[in-house]
Amino acid sequence: MRQLIQFRNIVKEFDGQLILKGLNLDIMENEFVTLLGPSGCGKTTLLRILGGFLEQTEGEVFFDGIEISNVPPYKREINTVFQRYALFPHMNVFDNIAFGLRIKKTDPAIIEQKVKKMLKLVNLEGYEKRAITQLSGGQQQRVAIARALVNEPMVLLLDEPLGALDQKLRKEMQIELKKIQKEVGITFIFVTHDQEEALTMSDKIVVMKDGEIQQIGSPTDIYNEPENEFVAKFIGESNIIDGIMLDDYRVVFFDQEFECVDYGFHDNESVDIVIRPEDIDIVEYDTGKFNGTIKSIMFKGVHWEIVVDTGIQDLVVHTTDYAEVGKEVGLSFFPEDIHVMSKMVAY
Amino acid sequence: MKKKKLQIGSSLYIALAFVFMYLPIVMMMIFSFNDSKSLTVWSGFSTRWYEALLTNNDVAEAVYYTLVVAVLATVISTFVGTITAIGLSKSRKVLKEIVLNLNDLPMLNPDIVTAIGLMLLFSSIGTEKGFMTMLLAHIAFCIPYVILNVMPKLRDLDPNVAEAAMDLGATPWQALWKVIVPQITPGILSGALIAFTMSIDDFVISYFVTGNGVKNISILVYSMSKRINPTINALSTIIVVIVTLVLVGVNVAPILKEKFGEHKIVKNVVSSKPVKYALAACIALLAFVVYDNRPNQVSATSSSADCTTLKVFNTGEYIAEDTRQRFEEEFGVQVVYDLFASNEEMYTRLLGGESYDVLVPSDYMVERLIQEDYLMNIDWSLIPNSEGLIESLTYREYDPGMSYAVPYFWGNVGIIYDSTVVDPEDVESLGWDIFHETKYAGDVYLYDSERDMFMVALKALGYSMNTADEDELQEAYEWLLQAMNTMDPVLITDEVIDNMIAGLKHIAVVYSGDATYMMSENENLVYYEPQQGTNSWIDSMVIPADSKCPILAHEWINYMLEEEIAYNNTVYVGYSSPIQSVFEEVSTDEEEGYGGISAYISREGYAKDEMFHYNEAQRKQLSELWTLVKAQ
Repeated sequence: MRQLIQFRNIVKEFDGQLILKGLNLDIMENEFVTLLGPSGCGKTTLLRILGGFLEQTEGEVFFDGIEISNVPPYKREINTVFQRYALFPHMNVFDNIAFGLRIKKTDPAIIEQKVKKMLKLVNLEGYEKRAITQLSGGQQQRVAIARALVNEPMVLLLDEPLGALDQKLRKEMQIELKKIQKEVGITFIFVTHDQEEALTMSDKIVVMKDGEIQQIGSPTDIYNEPENEFVAKFIGESNIIDGIMLDDYRVVFFDQEFECVDYGFHDNESVDIVIRPEDIDIVEYDTGKFNGTIKSIMFKGVHWEIVVDTGIQDLVVHTTDYAEVGKEVGLSFFPEDIHVMSKMVAY
Repeated sequence: MKKKKLQIGSSLYIALAFVFMYLPIVMMMIFSFNDSKSLTVWSGFSTRWYEALLTNNDVAEAVYYTLVVAVLATVISTFVGTITAIGLSKSRKVLKEIVLNLNDLPMLNPDIVTAIGLMLLFSSIGTEKGFMTMLLAHIAFCIPYVILNVMPKLRDLDPNVAEAAMDLGATPWQALWKVIVPQITPGILSGALIAFTMSIDDFVISYFVTGNGVKNISILVYSMSKRINPTINALSTIIVVIVTLVLVGVNVAPILKEKFGEHKIVKNVVSSKPVKYALAACIALLAFVVYDNRPNQVSATSSSADCTTLKVFNTGEYIAEDTRQRFEEEFGVQVVYDLFASNEEMYTRLLGGESYDVLVPSDYMVERLIQEDYLMNIDWSLIPNSEGLIESLTYREYDPGMSYAVPYFWGNVGIIYDSTVVDPEDVESLGWDIFHETKYAGDVYLYDSERDMFMVALKALGYSMNTADEDELQEAYEWLLQAMNTMDPVLITDEVIDNMIAGLKHIAVVYSGDATYMMSENENLVYYEPQQGTNSWIDSMVIPADSKCPILAHEWINYMLEEEIAYNNTVYVGYSSPIQSVFEEVSTDEEEGYGGISAYISREGYAKDEMFHYNEAQRKQLSELWTLVKAQ
């Protein structure tokens, strides 16, 4: 895989406020990359800079090795699926999808053929003559995707495209988008604040906060080895515990020493420890690593969410076994379930 | 039962509302087919006003200017307003708010403020007023309406559609044209429609910013106020019919579309090529017709004249319909003909920096203009027709040396009454005191003008109407007060003409020329000039000192005194001609002229008759006293 897009030291300032603080990012060919972060983290700004709708204050954007900062949006080989789709309500489905091809003065016969192909790809065969207003949210979404993909771009940008859909439809579309990406074989850059969406679809996740990249990695990397407290909290629920790294593979927290798989920290460095709720097992009293009391229990469908008071800090546990409130229990986990992260540097 | 009653009540209410709205329009339409000139008395069916409309240059010109200004102002303001609105919709909130509030201001402002502002602007930058200034003004006041109508449509727009279009390869212009504009078209159309109606409707602003003979319909009607020419009814009727047809078309089309279920038919028909060509051809044809009817542009230069355009400033309806055109054809020049409603207004417009070649003010205004060095000496060798002038009209007190003014029309002020109701002996014995004769209380019109009414009072009391004596003026004030208190008079201006013809009341103060016309329409009316004396006046043609075409101006004046032209003018207008032979002919000819109509043969040379002198202090005093009289 070769590098397709490179962001170099991108700074974006709005009214004296830094939205992007010198950001570097490489995106490969045919990757499904997700920019993930809470609202206001700069992910949409970065996407808009790539689309050509915003100009960065500083830094360079390379596309296929060429600096494109001065290339207007209509000359970039990039297409976008907008947050609210931005379909053209005065045109029907066919005309919407054909818009880009007609601008390029493509032969009508070819347009017809390509639009048909796209409609098939997004599962909307037979909807050519429908008015946009007659479509459901999910169908509009598909039209927006078809309208962008019909131009055969090298990159498709998707700006929180699933935000307006209901839960079930969103799940379907997640799968479908991934399928489409595989079929057309181009780079998708997907912006979302929904970590589950990011984990489901991405080849690579870029976690952002306050205009900076927190972590870049595969979904499993990001989930299992969050690099800091923010990532850990943002990606799923986590128990984050203050600890001290004695030396490689040895960490102290809750006044006890534990074996772990992490290394490469300074001796006696203060660290954050992450233990995912589903990695903690509830066992008989005094048979685990330490003890605690069941504080509350809540049914979550697939599992129970149990809060255990350890006397130092409450821990959240996800388990399929029921436990009674007030019961004294032991807690157990494996060394590989302990994720050690550097303390976040405060800005 | 009760419900039914209620229904009848509400239908009646709606019916009354509609009657209130449409009756005036229906009346106007009916009277456009009236045979006589009257606006209130029906005297038989005729299409003469429609025929007159076709031949009347003034009306054709006004329609031309109204339409051209409206179309251009609509197109330009719609374009500018739409672009501005689109720009604003993408601007920062603060800027947008400020601009939108500024945008609302001109709409909330009274028109007169905008009008004065524009007039001052154009005057101060030294633009010559005329078509361009009027067009600019119309564009200026139309733009806010377009923005106001387009803005909400833009607000409804998905914020990313333009970006989406560009993302798909459209240039910014293509995005605007193919995506933004089609979606805000309803807003653009309604903005354009409002701009168009505002432009067609406008009087106040147009009136203050125009010049050079450029008049729209409303200015023309205003300047006709002396005697409304029913061609306006005909014109208005045509406009109403066109508007109705358009409205019916717009409203019926969708119903038909629905009925025949074919959305596509109409759409296809409209978008099919032959229809497009036909539409284009229609528009081109319309443009050609309008262009063809535009004011004559004359290129030929006459040998005797020093320039090709003559600018004349006169009151409305004070010249025969074809006089101007005949002059243009004969001399190969163009005559720009502006209208004023009163001497004072004319004076103000001159102060405003407008320049003319010939003005037609009244005696006292001529006096003032002479005093203020506004006028040029007349070269009598260029006006051989002046030999025909009635001698007693020459060397009068306002221009004792006969150096500046050439008589145009003349007359007196008198009493008109209906001889079937009012005893002629009463009028003749009482003179002006007939307005104190309570026998006729509730049956009189007084002219709502301080100058004329104080003339009546002062003459009734045996004083000079130019007096500055406080006691005499006080007496006159009391005389008028008594008339107001005991006679229950109706104060009226130009409506007196129609109302007297219609016989609504039976005694009135009138100008002799108006009386001539009234008597020719209603044979029961009699005109009388009291022995106590009256105001005799002369309207003259003068040449301003800054005239650019003095020689052509002399030509015009000479032409006005030519027998045939003077004859046509006097017969058309009804005021007495200053040319001896014409005056004699018209006053004796009962068929074509005004033979037998006493008002035409105004008294002249009577010792107690006077002319007004220019005296600003007196005029102001009269005006204040008159306000007090009216307040009673």
